[in-house]
Amino acid sequence: MPYAAFEQDKEYLFGKFRNPVFDPSTGLDNETVQNHILPLAESMKGLPHPVVKGRIFEYICRNIQIDVNPHDCFPGFACFDRNKRPITPLISAWDREVNETCLRESNEIMYARNDAGLHSMWKDFDHSVPDWDSILTLGFPGLLRRAEQYRAERERRGEMTEDAKAYFDGIAITLHAVLEMLDRFIRYAEEHANGNPRMLAEAECLKQLRTGAPRNTYEVLQIIYLHFMFCEHIDRMQVRSLGNLDRMIYPYYQRDLEEGRFTEEKIREFFACFLMQWGSINNYWGHPFYLGGTKADGSTEINDLSFLILDVFDKLAVPTPKIQIKVARNTPREFLDKALDMIRRGHNSLVFVSEESIRRAMMSIGYSEETARTCDIRGCYEFVPRVLGNTTGIGHINMLKPFELIFNDGRDPKTGRVFESEAPKLEEITTFDDFYKAYILWLDNIIEGIIFCSRAFEKHLHRINPAQMYSATIPSSLKTARDAFSNGCVYNNSSILNAGFGSAVDALMAVKEFVFEKKELTLPEFRDILNSNWKGHEKLRLRILRSGLKYGNGIDQVDFYAEMIARFLGNKINLRPNSRGGVYEASGHSARTFITLGERTGATPDGRFAGEEMSKNLSPAMGMDTNGVTALIRSVTRLDAATFPGDFPLDVMMHPATVQGKEGLDAMRGLLFTYLLNHGVAIHFNIFDAAVLEDAQKHPDRYSGLQVRVCGWNVRFTELAKKEQDAYIERARNIAE
Amino acid sequence: MSITGIILEPKRFAVHDGPGIRTTFFLKGCPLRCIWCHNPESVPPHPELAYYAHKCIRCGECVSICPNGAHSMREKKHEFHRSLCTACGKCERACLGRALRLYGKRITPEEATALALEDRAFYEQSGGGVTLSGGEPLFQPEFCLELLKQLKTAGVHTALDTCCFVPRTALEAVLPVTDVFLVDFKHADSSEHRKLTGQGNELILDNLHFLSERGAEIEIRIPFVPGCNDSDENMERTGEILGGLNVKSVKLLPYHDLARTKYASLGRTDTMPHAKPPSPDRIAHAVRLLRARHVNARSGTE
Repeated sequence: MPYAAFEQDKEYLFGKFRNPVFDPSTGLDNETVQNHILPLAESMKGLPHPVVKGRIFEYICRNIQIDVNPHDCFPGFACFDRNKRPITPLISAWDREVNETCLRESNEIMYARNDAGLHSMWKDFDHSVPDWDSILTLGFPGLLRRAEQYRAERERRGEMTEDAKAYFDGIAITLHAVLEMLDRFIRYAEEHANGNPRMLAEAECLKQLRTGAPRNTYEVLQIIYLHFMFCEHIDRMQVRSLGNLDRMIYPYYQRDLEEGRFTEEKIREFFACFLMQWGSINNYWGHPFYLGGTKADGSTEINDLSFLILDVFDKLAVPTPKIQIKVARNTPREFLDKALDMIRRGHNSLVFVSEESIRRAMMSIGYSEETARTCDIRGCYEFVPRVLGNTTGIGHINMLKPFELIFNDGRDPKTGRVFESEAPKLEEITTFDDFYKAYILWLDNIIEGIIFCSRAFEKHLHRINPAQMYSATIPSSLKTARDAFSNGCVYNNSSILNAGFGSAVDALMAVKEFVFEKKELTLPEFRDILNSNWKGHEKLRLRILRSGLKYGNGIDQVDFYAEMIARFLGNKINLRPNSRGGVYEASGHSARTFITLGERTGATPDGRFAGEEMSKNLSPAMGMDTNGVTALIRSVTRLDAATFPGDFPLDVMMHPATVQGKEGLDAMRGLLFTYLLNHGVAIHFNIFDAAVLEDAQKHPDRYSGLQVRVCGWNVRFTELAKKEQDAYIERARNIAE
Repeated sequence: MSITGIILEPKRFAVHDGPGIRTTFFLKGCPLRCIWCHNPESVPPHPELAYYAHKCIRCGECVSICPNGAHSMREKKHEFHRSLCTACGKCERACLGRALRLYGKRITPEEATALALEDRAFYEQSGGGVTLSGGEPLFQPEFCLELLKQLKTAGVHTALDTCCFVPRTALEAVLPVTDVFLVDFKHADSSEHRKLTGQGNELILDNLHFLSERGAEIEIRIPFVPGCNDSDENMERTGEILGGLNVKSVKLLPYHDLARTKYASLGRTDTMPHAKPPSPDRIAHAVRLLRARHVNARSGTE
């Protein structure tokens, strides 16, 4: 079928989630629908939340404006704007209700600690990964039938409670509404196609999904897109992986080619159009899918389709979706080299994750080898048992805050808030070992705070936001009639992340060297200097920055403390029970909190000024790894990656000249494998030079495509705040020397 | 007393100094004076202090720590009196702006080997190893030989980056412990060679023939400097010479002038040609000329 060339569609596709235009005759605009939500909910007061949410979902599906466009293979939803999703007022109202009725005590503690920057905590609804295999094999009607079967079985067993009934009602209303909305798309496409082959093909595709499971590559891509939209934009539950695309789609792709249904060129067009949906959404954290992995027989999952997808992505040059590549020894070198070459040409949105290291991390907290092999990669680069598990990210530890609390006897200088702990008062600390112990006690205190507060609010996740689209895909949820995001998975875990790990190690070393070894100043003197934000003590600050004792340089005596603190985090957090029947997991990931917690932290002994960002992930503080990338990897892999089953990422920044030519590619591959064979889990490269970044800061219009990765999120450099841009430029200057 | 060498800061994750991920040691001292030299700090055999004026924050730490009064502050301006400096390195450690840098530190072969072995895992994964470069590494023949021996004993792949303007005996000694020779080739004509480097090329060609006859693995590196050695005639003659040798590959390294600040920091006269980096087309043309003479040539940036 002669569809329009992709180039002609690009403009429409870029605008689809930014400034779309809808035919008003198709329904109500987003704002109007949103305004109707609370009154509608009010009219259902007293009904269980899943039913109310289902009905609201249904209302949106029936009324929101739609589009089926000749420039696109996928339909348009007027609830395209993530920040204005129509159901948000309802979820916010239920959140307030839970806060007021159940969480007064714990929230008081949580807000105080958030405010003073001991931690950064929030209720997380951002990390679901549906069972894509169920979605592909059953389709929407099949998911509905399966849910009905589980319901009937429960009834037969005489175990139908009010809660279970509400759970199944909610799913049924939701999935029926999905089918109704497909009807609307089909009708619109047929009425407006005017013989346009693409719109007619789209109508056929949607008709199949209205009645059954997808049968070919186009229908599979369509259902992935639709599920994403229904789940994330209407049901308001973030989908944190579009799945293991090459593995999932390969059988359909093969059949399409063998049976002559589609040409390879046609399939490339479908993928280009599919990837552009997320290219247009362009959330700063990116939407991931992953490629690769290992089959049960030990061979690689990388296939012709993996190459095709990578190639299509390469040509699109959009910063999102982002791609994680599951790497093992069996990963074809050709494939790795293509990915590495893309990275050095500026595709900074590719991440490598090591299957072998994940296996080690997962089995060490009790997962089976098979569960580890088949785990999903989701979010930035985290791993989660496929179908069986859901892990929320509930709190970030501020690894630098203990210094302020030690120096000020539990008082946060900026907010004046006072916290109690077992740690000794400053005047009682006479040795570095006392200081180390005080640091650990405050860290312990922060972790206990996070666990206490999150146990309280995580009991209520399903009351605030029942995850009906997601639950309908998860067999253990259907079996137990429990919400999959709350406690209906087999593994309902919660991860505790951290920010400022590397900065904290450097700060400990500074206290050790300057207070206890060189005796240049006393602890009270240090306190006064920090509380005045180094005023009048710039030379001391520079001496500290210049000290060779910095994490990330392969220095044994420094890395020893890094290792001890990492082990403490792991020992303290891993396998502690949460309130959803699962456990806590330590994560070495920082998301954006290295900036936000930095803003809430005063000057620290590592030479950092008040308010400045801190180190991110398990990486060293910006510019402190002066011994090069091999020393950096030695330092980081000295930490046992299995200590962080929540994630173990490393950021590596390199200058383009370093990795140019065939030798450059060989070196990148060598670096990757050295890291992975030393149990490192995730690694992402940023490759650019300072001059380019400086120019991009001055002339953003000329560099709209320039990508950087910020802690797992790939963003356009020109869209970063100036402060963040400056940090990247500074870093690039350091590596250039 | 054990042998010691004088080296610059070792470069880890060296990617373009032989196969795989390598650690490169730059040994100080060089018999040539190439006008385009990118590592002027490696030329004199003795340690010397560099002062990067643009980095100086005028903290004055060097003034108080220098035992010889080589640093002074006048009207809040730093002055460095090179003639008084003994290159003891005390000021480098004290300098808060990282403006002072001591080029050249003593190290034993044992220390250098231990340092190199820290990155053994990277060599193993990438087929890399250790490269001795400079300056001219064989300007310190005993240290060079001992270090190469120790590295070979430890099972590390070794490369020697040499200009070949060295005594035959030194070359012969390292032959059994060097896996690959990276040989600089600067000009085919001896009198031009003398103009550009201070020495004729007879000894170099002689040594190249020797290495070739002895079956050494040789990679030739040609600094491709516009206006100096980039003429078609020179490339053709170079191709004829190299085509007659047992050379594995030839790389053309495009000239750039990023090393200028180093000359200033060392108080050295800047001799670098005022030439723009050669265009990829220009290099591709030279590559074709060399290939026509059965030389396995390529651009160093490919």
